[in-house]
Amino acid sequence: MSMSEVTEPQFSVDATQLSRFHGGTDAPIWWGIVGLILIEMSVVAAFVISYFYLVMVNPTWPPEGQPASELLWPTVSMVLLLVSCVTMYLAGKSVNRDRVTAFVIYTWASVALATVVLVIRWLQFQTFDFSWNDHVYGSLVWTISGFHFLHVVSAATGTSVVALLGMKKFFNSKQRIGVVVDTLYWNFVALAWIPFYLILYWAPRMTQTAGG
Amino acid sequence: MHKSPTYDQTPEATAPLSQTWQSPPGFVSWFTHVNQRQIGYRFVVTSLIFFALAGVLALIMRLQLIAPENTLLGADFYNQLFTMHGTTMMFFFAVPAMEGLGIYLVPLMIGTRDMSFPRLNAFGYYVYLIAGVSLFVALFLGMAPAAGWFSYVPLANIAFSPGKGMDFWTSMITFIEISALAAAVELIVTILKQRAPGMTLNRMPLFVWSILVMSFMILFAMPTVMAGSVLLALDRAFDMQFFVASGGGDPLLWQHLFWFFGHPEVYIIMVPALGIISTVIATFTRKPVFGYTALVLALVATGFVSFGLWVHHMFTTGLPHLGLSFFTAAGAMIAIPSGVQVFCWIASLWGTRIRFATPMLFVLGFFAIFIIGGLTGVMVASIPFDTQVHDSYFVVAHLHYVLIGGAVFPFFAGLYYWYPKMTGRLMSERLGKWSFALIFIGTNLTFFPMHQLGLEGMPRRIYTYLEGMGWGDLNFAITLAAFVLAAGFLLTLINAVISRTRGAEAGDNPWQADTLEWAATSPPQNYNFRHLPVVNSRHPLWDEADLTRRQYVKGLRADRRELLVTTLLEAQPQSVLIMPGPSIWPFLLALVVGFGFLGFMFQPLLFVVGFALSFFAITGWLWPRKPWISTKEN
Repeated sequence: MSMSEVTEPQFSVDATQLSRFHGGTDAPIWWGIVGLILIEMSVVAAFVISYFYLVMVNPTWPPEGQPASELLWPTVSMVLLLVSCVTMYLAGKSVNRDRVTAFVIYTWASVALATVVLVIRWLQFQTFDFSWNDHVYGSLVWTISGFHFLHVVSAATGTSVVALLGMKKFFNSKQRIGVVVDTLYWNFVALAWIPFYLILYWAPRMTQTAGG
Repeated sequence: MHKSPTYDQTPEATAPLSQTWQSPPGFVSWFTHVNQRQIGYRFVVTSLIFFALAGVLALIMRLQLIAPENTLLGADFYNQLFTMHGTTMMFFFAVPAMEGLGIYLVPLMIGTRDMSFPRLNAFGYYVYLIAGVSLFVALFLGMAPAAGWFSYVPLANIAFSPGKGMDFWTSMITFIEISALAAAVELIVTILKQRAPGMTLNRMPLFVWSILVMSFMILFAMPTVMAGSVLLALDRAFDMQFFVASGGGDPLLWQHLFWFFGHPEVYIIMVPALGIISTVIATFTRKPVFGYTALVLALVATGFVSFGLWVHHMFTTGLPHLGLSFFTAAGAMIAIPSGVQVFCWIASLWGTRIRFATPMLFVLGFFAIFIIGGLTGVMVASIPFDTQVHDSYFVVAHLHYVLIGGAVFPFFAGLYYWYPKMTGRLMSERLGKWSFALIFIGTNLTFFPMHQLGLEGMPRRIYTYLEGMGWGDLNFAITLAAFVLAAGFLLTLINAVISRTRGAEAGDNPWQADTLEWAATSPPQNYNFRHLPVVNSRHPLWDEADLTRRQYVKGLRADRRELLVTTLLEAQPQSVLIMPGPSIWPFLLALVVGFGFLGFMFQPLLFVVGFALSFFAITGWLWPRKPWISTKEN
C-alpha cells in the first residue's frame, strides 16, 4: 500500500524511564482498595440505616426490661482502635524514611492493639444477657458486633503478614505500596467502629431516656 | 484502510510479546487464564447460556398457561420456574452480560493490554459460574427457590418457605454479588488509571463512560442486597428476627433493602445499553454523536437519580403520603436525562444516511420497544393507577417492554456489532435481519396483549386460571407468540455458531468505526496492541486515520507483562505496572469460597471452614508474585 506503512511508527511517549514502583494514588491497587472500602461503607450504611429503621418501628427500644449496655469497655475499644490508627500512621512514616526496625515495631504494635480489642470484645460477648433470636434488638447487636469482629480479625491477620514481610526487609521507601493500602483498610476497619459504637451503645440510651 | 503489517508487526518481531501475554493452551490451563479478553468472552458466552436457559423456563411457563386449568405443571414447580426465570435473567444474564462486554471491550477501547487486577477478574468469573450452576442444579433437584426473584418476606421466611430453596437463593445471591462487585471495582480502576496517553476524560468513548457509571452504581447498590440477603440468611439459619414481626423485626425493611438495590439494578442494566446505542449510532451514521457532553451528563444524572426511585415499587405497602409524593417526583425527574439522551440521538440520526445493518436495526428496535415500556412506566408511576394494576399482568407487560427494550435489544446490537472483533468473522446479515424481525414481532405479540390481560384483572404469578375468567384466548395467542420470540433468539444463536467458522473475514475495522478497539486485529493479539496508542482526539480512528499521524508509546518491556498507568483526568503517563500472569489460585479461591457459601446452607460451621480455607487460597494467590526477586529494574 502506501509508503507510510513501512516507516517507523511515531513514538511520542517513552515509558523506559517511568517508575515500576508505586507509592499511592499512582497505583491501581490503591484505587482498588478505595473501591473495596466504598463497598464496605455501603454495607455499614445499610446496617446503620436498618438499625434506625427498626428503632423507628418499635415502640420501645431497647425492648422492655432490657437495660442499655455498659459504656466502659466499648469506649476503651474505641480509644485503642484510634490509637492503632496513629501507630499505623507512624509505621508508614517510618517506612518512608527507610527506618525498617521502627516500621516493624509500629506495625506489630498496631496488631497488638487490635488483638487487645478482640479480647475485650470476646469477653463482652459472654456478658450479653440476650440471644440473637430473642428479639430484633438482639439480632442487630450480635450481627453488627460479629461483622466488626470479623473485620478486625482480617485486618489484624493481613497486617501481621505485612509485619512479617517487613521483618524480611521486603518494604522500603521505594517499595511500600503494600503498607499504604494495608493502612487504608486498617483505618476503615478502626473508624467503622465509630458508627457501630454510637448505635450499639449510645442510641439505646437516647431512645430509653427519651421514653422510647 | 486495509492495514498490512508494518515491519515491526511481523510474527518474528511480535513473538516475544505474544509469548509473554499468552494464555497457555490445554484443559487444565483453561482454569489459569487471566487475560481480560478470555474472561470477558467467557462472561458473555456464559451469560448467553443462562439467557437461553431462563428463556426455556419461560416457554415452559407459557405452555402451562396456554389453556385454563392446565395440569402440565404443579403450583410449586411453577413458582420455582418464575423465581428462577427472574433471578437468572436479572442476576445471571443481564448484569454479567453487560459486565462481560465491558471487560472485553473497555481495555481495547482505552488502549491498554489488560485490566488492573486480572486474577480478581478470573476469580469473579468462577464465582459467577459456580453460583449460576448451583442454582440450576437446585432446580433440577426440585429444590429451587420459589418466592419470586425479589424473595419478599414473610413468604421467604423460614416459617413459610421451610425447604432449602430459599437458602440457595440467599447464599447464591450473596455469592454472585461478589463477582459483580469485583468486576465493578476492576472496571472503575482500569478506566480511571489505564487510559491511553492523551485520552482525557473528555475524550473517552461513550461506551466507556456508560461502563464507568454502571460500575459506580454497582458499587453502591449491590452491597445493600448483599446485606439484605445476609440478614435473611441469618433469620433463616439462626432464627434471628430481622424480618419477623413478632420479634420486633419488620418485613417492609426487606423491601426497602431489596429495592434500594433493585431499582438501580434496572439502570445498571440500562446504562451500558445506552452506551452501546450511542456507539452504534455514531458508527452507522458515520458521524460523531450529537451532544457528547450532554450525553455524558445524562448518563451520570441517570446514575444518581436512579437511587431515589426505589419506593415506587412499594406504592401499595401503605407508606406515608409525603414519602410517596417524593418518589413520584423523583420518578418524574428521571425523565429529564432520558429525554436529553433521546433528543441527542434523534439529532444524531437527523439528516444522515443511516446504514441499516443488523446492529442498527436492533437499536431502532430499542427505540420502539423502550418507548412503549416508558409510556406504561409513566402510567404506573401514578399512584392511583399503580394501585389498580399492581401485581397484575399489566406490570409483567411493562417490565418486559422495559427490560427487553432497554437491555436485550441493545445487547444484541452490541453482539452483532462486536462479534467480528471478538471472533475475526462477521455474522450473517441475512440471518441477523430475520432474527431481528422475529424478535421484534415476537416481543410485541407476546407482551402487548399482557397489558389487556392485566386490565382484565389477571394476577401475576399464578400457575393457572379458571375458564370462566375469559383469559383463555389471549393466553393461547401469547403462548404461540412466545415461540416466535424464541425462534428469533434461536436464529441469532445459530448465526453466532455458524459464523464462528463460516462467516466472512472481518478485517480490523469492518464497520469503519472510530474507537480504538478497531485499531487492534480481529480477534486481537494476545497483547491487544503491538504498541500502546497515544490519542489526540475523541475519534482516533477517524481523525487519525492516516497512519503517519498515529502516535505510540515505546519502552514497555516485552519479556514480562507491563502496561502504562496514566493520570486520572488528563491521562498523562505516570508509571508502569507489572501485571501477574496465569494462575490457578483464583479458581481455587472461588471453589473454597463457594464451598463456604453452599456449605452454610447445610451446616453453618462449614462457612467457617470455607473462610479458613480461603486464607490459604489467598496466600497461594499472592505467593508467586514476588517482584523483589526480579529486581533487574531499569
